[in-house]
Amino acid sequence: MTFTKSLSRPLFAAFTAFAFAGSAAAPARACGGEWYPIYEVDPRIEGVDTAEKKLEDGHVLASAGMVIRMIPHIKTLSPTRTTLIQRAHRVLALAAVRYDGALPVGAEVPDYVQGTWLGKTAEDRKTNLDWAVKSLREIAKAKKDDPASRTELAEALAKLDDSKAEARQILEDLAQKDLITSADGYATLATLREGAGDQEGRRAALERCKTMAHPSQAGICEGRPASSVAT
Amino acid sequence: MRFLPSLLVLLSAVACSSSKDGGHASATQKAAASVTAAPVKAAEPVATAPAPEVAGDAERGEKLVLQFECNRCHDGTGHPAMALEKHCTHCHEDIMTGRFGAGTPKIAEWKRSVTPYRYAPSLEGAGKRFRREWLVRFLENPVDLRPHLAASMPRLAISESDARDLAAYLTRDAKTAKSDALAEGGSIRRGRELVEQKGCGGCHAFSGERPLPSTPNPAVGTDAQKKAVELAPDLRHVRERFRRDTLVSWLLAPASLKADTLMPTHGFTDAEAKDVATYLVSVPLEAPPAVAPRAKLPLLTRPVTYAEVEKQVLSITCRHCHGNPDIAGGDGGPGNTGGFGFAPRSLDLSTYRSAAAGLVKDDGERHSLFEKTADGTPLLVAALRARQSEEAGAPVPGLRGMPLGLPAVSAEAVQLVESWIAQGRPQ
Repeated sequence: MTFTKSLSRPLFAAFTAFAFAGSAAAPARACGGEWYPIYEVDPRIEGVDTAEKKLEDGHVLASAGMVIRMIPHIKTLSPTRTTLIQRAHRVLALAAVRYDGALPVGAEVPDYVQGTWLGKTAEDRKTNLDWAVKSLREIAKAKKDDPASRTELAEALAKLDDSKAEARQILEDLAQKDLITSADGYATLATLREGAGDQEGRRAALERCKTMAHPSQAGICEGRPASSVAT
Repeated sequence: MRFLPSLLVLLSAVACSSSKDGGHASATQKAAASVTAAPVKAAEPVATAPAPEVAGDAERGEKLVLQFECNRCHDGTGHPAMALEKHCTHCHEDIMTGRFGAGTPKIAEWKRSVTPYRYAPSLEGAGKRFRREWLVRFLENPVDLRPHLAASMPRLAISESDARDLAAYLTRDAKTAKSDALAEGGSIRRGRELVEQKGCGGCHAFSGERPLPSTPNPAVGTDAQKKAVELAPDLRHVRERFRRDTLVSWLLAPASLKADTLMPTHGFTDAEAKDVATYLVSVPLEAPPAVAPRAKLPLLTRPVTYAEVEKQVLSITCRHCHGNPDIAGGDGGPGNTGGFGFAPRSLDLSTYRSAAAGLVKDDGERHSLFEKTADGTPLLVAALRARQSEEAGAPVPGLRGMPLGLPAVSAEAVQLVESWIAQGRPQ
């Protein structure tokens, strides 16, 4: 105790002196040259932007791989945490949906972050699709009435048996106002209409799909799954 | 730094670019259009009694300046300028003068886009010079006052009472005129000679009157000279804009009425200033220059993709105001998240999918950007054509022309957009 007391004062004094010395304004050259700020830019800002563009261009797997590599813990993050995370969630969720919950990204994503993304089992695929629906639902909620977010939520909902009715309701509402924002949305609507026995409606949706589709994804408007035409 | 992403988006898509992009009529084209021949009309009589002052609530007007964000483009509003990331001309000026903190390649790219959109007139001392009733009319129905300036006053969502209150505020420092007449004895002929001698035509156009000597050439000279030329109003508006009781004072010592004016002091004598004033307000003018309506071109038969529309129209003209708030610090521009007194429209033209998501109209509902208007024209095309009509002096009731306050896009650009929509909007 005595020893501690005897040391505490000099230590306190030394610490205080050090703190004062550290806080004193020193001339820039004392740091060893001209001082200039170094801005650190989060590389994910550009990365997510690139992933979005790849998704738009139909390179679904490349976009998914980028997001998993950049944000391997993405499942632990709320999709509305920041706009950057929200955008990353959207890209990965849509990729998972378009590959029916099984993303063949084994070659480009390290083993230790692959998790369930490869969708090797039915359970993994279901996990991925559930996660995608949850993410896209939260995004659509955050963006209120945004037709693009609602179109994408419907695309995900259509993959789960118990939410196909909800998916069709959303897409029919949007179609009535000409607010379906993607060819994938119309392809999904065509599938849902076919499931409900509406062949004429299916043909109309596929026609609309064909006029909107990016050349790289035209196959989705011929009734083929997105994963068979995406890269 | 946190504003950089927003500026990146806003500025990379800024306004409009060079004529090779086919987007807009240039300032030169505007000047050429302003001398279109038309029948001669008699001289307008010079009023001899002050017009009854338009009533207005200056206190409310002061608040409206902030609501309509006049200080987003203009200095001299009596309010501090808006922050740099929202301020049109301050931001452009910083880019042009190298003060803006961005990399050299980006600055070089932005410079090409912002060059025509560098200046807006200061409102300093407006009340000492302008008639309040003219300001009210101008705010309600803006006309293109400055033929060498690419941008012009936008058509705001402004009511008559808003215009009156704003005008009352902007003319708050005006003294009541004892007379609305110029002093007797001025000579139109001598006034014309003086205007020619002083080289007023080096900056000003005077549409409806014989062309003034000294063709302006904004491409040469110092920045200050270029700015003076760009901001110089067409003199045909003097007779409606200016208070008669201060016009002579303005000609004698412009800075005494507007401290930051670019109008030089020409060293007129009192008699000369009177002659020039008499000439400006009394010389017979031809009717307002007619701007021919743009041709409506037929739909293209070749395939048109979104990539082409984006490159030639949307990225040049539209995205500066209709941007993506997610990558711009929450600010999607006045045409998306609101501004200039406009409610948020949630219109984002930055991608194919966001454009397809439409906009929120006055009824609070989402509508497609491509929905048919009364005559069957898609809304987007109708808005582009409405701007062309506004330039021709015929605003379309119930439809605000786009791009707001900027030159209309070319007939070819409208044709491209219309053809793309007619083809089903392929990506």
